Amino acid sequence: MQMAFANVRHCTEKTLSSGRRDEDGVGHEDGSDSESTSASFGSSDYSDDLEPEWLDDIQKNGELFYLELSEGEEEAALAQATANQVASTNHVRFSEKEAEIITEQHKKQRCGSRTKGEPALKRLARILRRKRRPSLRRGGKDGGKDSSALSPPASILKNQPGQRQGVTVQQQQLKEVCVYLNPKRLGGSSSPVCDSGGLLEALLGVVHRPAWSRGQGEPGDIRQEERLTVHGLIPNSPAIKCGQILIGDVLVAVDDVDVTSENIERVLSCIPGPTQVRLTLETVAPVDRGSTGDTSSLHKTKASPPVSQLVRLLWGEDTAELQMSISHIPHVVMYLSLKLDSASPQDEEEILYQYPVSEASSQLKGVRGIFLTLCDMLENVTGGQIISSSLLLGKHLVHVGYWKESNNLLVIGLPAERVPLLYLQTVVGDVVRTLKVMYGSLDRAFCKVDHTPRLDHFFCLFFQQLIQPSRLREGASTTTTPPDVSGTLFLDGLPAVRWLTLPPEIKTEVDTVLSDFESSDFGEMSEDFFGLRRLYVILGSCLFYKSYLIANHLPKEDLLDVCLYCQHYCLLPLASEQRVGQLVIWREVFPQQRASKDGGAAPGYGQPQGRHFLLIVGLRHFMQCVLLEAGGCASPALASPGPDCVYVDQVKATLLQLEVLEAGIEERLNAPPAPCLSCADWFLPAATARDRLDSLASSSPVLSKLAGAVRGSSSGSRGRSLFGEKSRRSSPQRSLSDSGSEGQMDAGSGLSPHSTPDSARKLGGRRDSLGSGGSDGSGGSGGLFKMSRMKHPNPFYLGTLKKTLTERETEEMYNTMKLTSGAENTLFHYVLMETVQGIFIAPTHREVAQLSGSIHPQLIRNFHHCCLSIRAAFQQSLPARGRRAADRPQSAGWGLGPVKEHGVLFQCKPENWTDQRKPAPTMTYWVIGRMLLEPVPQEFYVCFHDSVAEVPVEMAFRLSFGLAL
Amino acid sequence: MGQRYCGNDAKPMMMMRRRRRRMLQDGSTQLLCLTASSGVPLFTRGASKQLPFSVIGSLNGVHMFGGGQGVVLSCCQTEGGGKVVWRVFQDSVMLIAVSGGGGGGGRSGAGGKEEEEAEEEEGEEEEVRLQRLLENVWSCMVLVLGQDELANVRNVERLKRDLRSCFSLIDQLLEERHEGILGNLTHCADSLLPPNPAILQEAVDAFAQAADSEFGCLIVHGRIATATEKWWRLAPQEVVLLSALIRSLSASGSSSCDYPVFLPQGSPTVAHRLLRFQLLPGADACVLCGPTPSLHRAETGLVVRFWSPLLETLRDCLAVGERCLPGSVSLRPDVLAFLLINRETRRSVCSVRPSTCQPLSKARCWELLKLFYIFCISRYFTQEETLCVSPEERTHRGIAEDFAAGFSHQPQQCYLVTEECKSYGLQTSQHQLYLLILPSVPTFALRTVATQTLSDLTAATRF
Repeated sequence: MQMAFANVRHCTEKTLSSGRRDEDGVGHEDGSDSESTSASFGSSDYSDDLEPEWLDDIQKNGELFYLELSEGEEEAALAQATANQVASTNHVRFSEKEAEIITEQHKKQRCGSRTKGEPALKRLARILRRKRRPSLRRGGKDGGKDSSALSPPASILKNQPGQRQGVTVQQQQLKEVCVYLNPKRLGGSSSPVCDSGGLLEALLGVVHRPAWSRGQGEPGDIRQEERLTVHGLIPNSPAIKCGQILIGDVLVAVDDVDVTSENIERVLSCIPGPTQVRLTLETVAPVDRGSTGDTSSLHKTKASPPVSQLVRLLWGEDTAELQMSISHIPHVVMYLSLKLDSASPQDEEEILYQYPVSEASSQLKGVRGIFLTLCDMLENVTGGQIISSSLLLGKHLVHVGYWKESNNLLVIGLPAERVPLLYLQTVVGDVVRTLKVMYGSLDRAFCKVDHTPRLDHFFCLFFQQLIQPSRLREGASTTTTPPDVSGTLFLDGLPAVRWLTLPPEIKTEVDTVLSDFESSDFGEMSEDFFGLRRLYVILGSCLFYKSYLIANHLPKEDLLDVCLYCQHYCLLPLASEQRVGQLVIWREVFPQQRASKDGGAAPGYGQPQGRHFLLIVGLRHFMQCVLLEAGGCASPALASPGPDCVYVDQVKATLLQLEVLEAGIEERLNAPPAPCLSCADWFLPAATARDRLDSLASSSPVLSKLAGAVRGSSSGSRGRSLFGEKSRRSSPQRSLSDSGSEGQMDAGSGLSPHSTPDSARKLGGRRDSLGSGGSDGSGGSGGLFKMSRMKHPNPFYLGTLKKTLTERETEEMYNTMKLTSGAENTLFHYVLMETVQGIFIAPTHREVAQLSGSIHPQLIRNFHHCCLSIRAAFQQSLPARGRRAADRPQSAGWGLGPVKEHGVLFQCKPENWTDQRKPAPTMTYWVIGRMLLEPVPQEFYVCFHDSVAEVPVEMAFRLSFGLAL
Repeated sequence: MGQRYCGNDAKPMMMMRRRRRRMLQDGSTQLLCLTASSGVPLFTRGASKQLPFSVIGSLNGVHMFGGGQGVVLSCCQTEGGGKVVWRVFQDSVMLIAVSGGGGGGGRSGAGGKEEEEAEEEEGEEEEVRLQRLLENVWSCMVLVLGQDELANVRNVERLKRDLRSCFSLIDQLLEERHEGILGNLTHCADSLLPPNPAILQEAVDAFAQAADSEFGCLIVHGRIATATEKWWRLAPQEVVLLSALIRSLSASGSSSCDYPVFLPQGSPTVAHRLLRFQLLPGADACVLCGPTPSLHRAETGLVVRFWSPLLETLRDCLAVGERCLPGSVSLRPDVLAFLLINRETRRSVCSVRPSTCQPLSKARCWELLKLFYIFCISRYFTQEETLCVSPEERTHRGIAEDFAAGFSHQPQQCYLVTEECKSYGLQTSQHQLYLLILPSVPTFALRTVATQTLSDLTAATRF
């Protein structure tokens, strides 16, 4: 039945997708994109096997985590690293079994001294395992598979070091070349594989003619142990593209596995999917030019490995190495049993789970008695559960967070320099909620032995993200600035998801596509078609583009659950920094809102008793998370079902459908910041106006045009006038007199008659309230903001206006839009959180990057650090609502009473001020946070220059206009 | 103490847990003092009901157990704002402060001040307060007994007996009875600005000189009105503690006394004599001196000679009262309360507007001012005490997490808008000013109010 399903599904999908490709093929700017799609579709043609790639990765409990980088990404990374790579991997699947193997191997590594040979063993083991997997799957998964997979490579490896030694003694040089191979393209290409060159030619593009090197003598029958000399290269093949493989070179090893003509075909055939392999080649006579080039590129490779540590971590590799690098910083997570049975002789029996098992945690583990005793005792003394304690270990101050559930206690120790005590509770609460979403309860998560490797991976990610976030990202982006730890803490800790406002027409389209999908009307694919009961009910889905949420059809709490999972597994940055070839995640989840029962909804309505499953599918920069329910209306789920191909493919189809909109979204991302942002550096007199213009112009193509125009119009330098000011000086009159009013009218007529009076009223109302801005902080009533110098209707609804305006006018309008009042635009940064919808907006990464500057990043770090404090003040003064970790009562008592607004004024100086005679110039700026409970609960945080006495509540209102879901 | 400390205590723990009764009342603070090496309880103060012995033992035990494993436990926080803070002084005395949480959830607006007076602040800020309390209690013990007796405990029973003499002072620190005295928290001497400082300064200088001392001061309403230059040179914490001691001595009602004191930092092992004379009810003159003169000679000879001509001036001084500012200095009407600290001289002036002309009760104002001060220094502003504290103190302060250190730029000012009032904190190179302002003042005007208040105050008083 299932097979029949799959068959039908594949055929239609193919036709569907090909049809779609034809439609929008022109729209694709990126050639490689369509190529790769076609290639992947071709692969299913070729292999004659209709199973999707991820099918083999489904685990016994039905869970799936399949991540594959796109080919474009791989090749881009390759180009960046100029081919020579020390370590690189691709297309690795993460699964329980592998994680186990790796740890096992690392234990070996500790004992043995042969560190060099070890990674090779791992890699080959993986390759071979991959090969074996299909058959094993059919034969049933038995535990012996690991050992059986491990043994053959071990034998191959035995002679490896010796051989390599032998090679190096020779005068000839060894060079390492990384090439990108995609066996799936074999099928798509027309060239037949049956050629004598086999995979070596077809896949790699290296022509090796055994007869040539051996002379004409013996023909083919004794081909043992022949060296693989490169006799020729095939045009357009990976080998020739990399430009480093020369005719005459000898291929010695592939991924540290020595190859000869004997085993090359076997080794190459082990490559199951697109991957990067490292070839070791012996160059016969090193030419001067060549050798210098080689060494220089060898140096380069160390700097930037193509695949970021994050991806490798997600794939489940190298956790031990990463763990080692933070072993000097004390951190621990323990799940302890409070039920002490003093009669039992066993030591450490109260530890139900512990990570990491290393020196980093041993000291903290040693004093677990403190945690247990305090937890037990303090409740009686002070009348409340213990939530944190601070310890000093040598020089490190460690904060320990507690979470008690039934008779067990979760203890998380974190270094104080990473997580301030103010925010520890939020961090612990988020971990607990994530675990609960994933496993239902802490007890279920920790008390099952077979969860241990997964929890190890979970907490490895957790600590890595907190303790060395920069290391995870390295390779993906070459940022030299120190990591913004507070920023990560703050933004991740918000009970909200980063939202990207889109022009309405794109938004509508996205919503329509999502709704179509959610209606589960899969036509011939749907269960209805076969007269069956539905497998799952789609509860809703949300869509991310490059880490921004662009559409959400999930209830808020479910959205937060899903988002916590994504955050924890770094899926959001992954999708923004690297193009994901394919991401398929499937697991059972326990949404907290639904799990808590009692619902509180309308009487007579009970939440259906069902099981919930989370399906996340990512393609390139898009990622869609779907929450499914089994049971209830749909047929109940039995045991632990794996992902259903139909649903996965429908999501994929949805994403493919959405790709048409990518250009529009990119345009939105590339647009100048909608509320104008200033760069902090502009306010220090060091930078001249011209520098400012230039730096802007170079960073943004849109602005460069404008900068040129401005430069042309206002030739005389006006001293310290700001860029924004300049452009404003020329534009406002214009935009007001003709384009502004005109555009406004056009927009009005373009809108539906229903909305026109409404918007007009809004505008009028806003004008009326001009000047009444003297907010007394008594909470925002609608009339409090003034629009003193805002010349246009609404910065955020520009999308509708845009159509009617010429491009130039739009640009001008964008540039004149600012949130602050006064002559200069003084807004540096902002975060606005809409608590009800669970979303927040902040300037996009690209907008921040455009501002560049040296002080600005510092300022943003500072802003985030300050926000931690502000938000902590809000949280402490609030009764326990709206918290993520909702089931813990808020620490009561905050003597100061409910905080509505809190601001801090900072002063900054340029870092290395060398001029001794003059005092360093200073710049002061405010960071202000405000919490509104009425009319909609909102929190917003702004950072602006001190020059204007600003009333932040106005900014909030202006900002919040952009937030229409 | 074996591998598993809790193994031994586990059984009684479980028994206790069943009772589900909190041992500490809401908001009360209990101070436990034990010998660090053996864990013998020396005294407990505060809270009407003493914690059971087993709990005291466990609290001490967990810290000792951690010490054996190279882990120093410094504080703990529970839901509802409860806090426990541990600290060992001179490797000989362990002080533990336990404060019960508020428990009852949020405060019910601005009403019902009198009931809430007992309720104390909680949260992160509470920790700062408790840390300060422990430091002060230790210094106080040194002040009375000297460091030698505390550092080398030979006879525990005798020490217990001797420590009783500290109780009145410690209780004063614990209860914070005196409204408007923030020195315990700020470690800046609470001052009162007299209307005619020059005459008083002259009198104090002359009086001290006649008593063979360089250290003399005049205390009015428990605050220092004037003092000799040397008095100000004492460590700020000593000045604060001496003021506290004088307050508690004058509360006893005697007209004069002679009290031996050790200076916790200046001379922790050699005692000086503190002579106190009541000039008028509420006004005391004090000198720190050596063996001479005798109390009698000073009282009969010197006090009359130097102070009787100044009785009118002293009365003017007393009339300043709680306001701490001479009548000539006028405050803006929207300022409810202020705390001004001179960062160089380590002196502070603070005042609260009488409750007749403001919505908040006086007690609540003081509480808010205190809380806001702690809020600011624990997050944004630095304390410069590090200059004058002992090395031991400095290392200890190193362990407390410094949230302010995380800022890449220097915080200068901050404000907080709450339901009851608006608070503004401001730091310049010389001063720190904390203000409570009427809620009706618009937020954007706060800064102007604050800067203006600062310039008014400094210009009028040269503080």
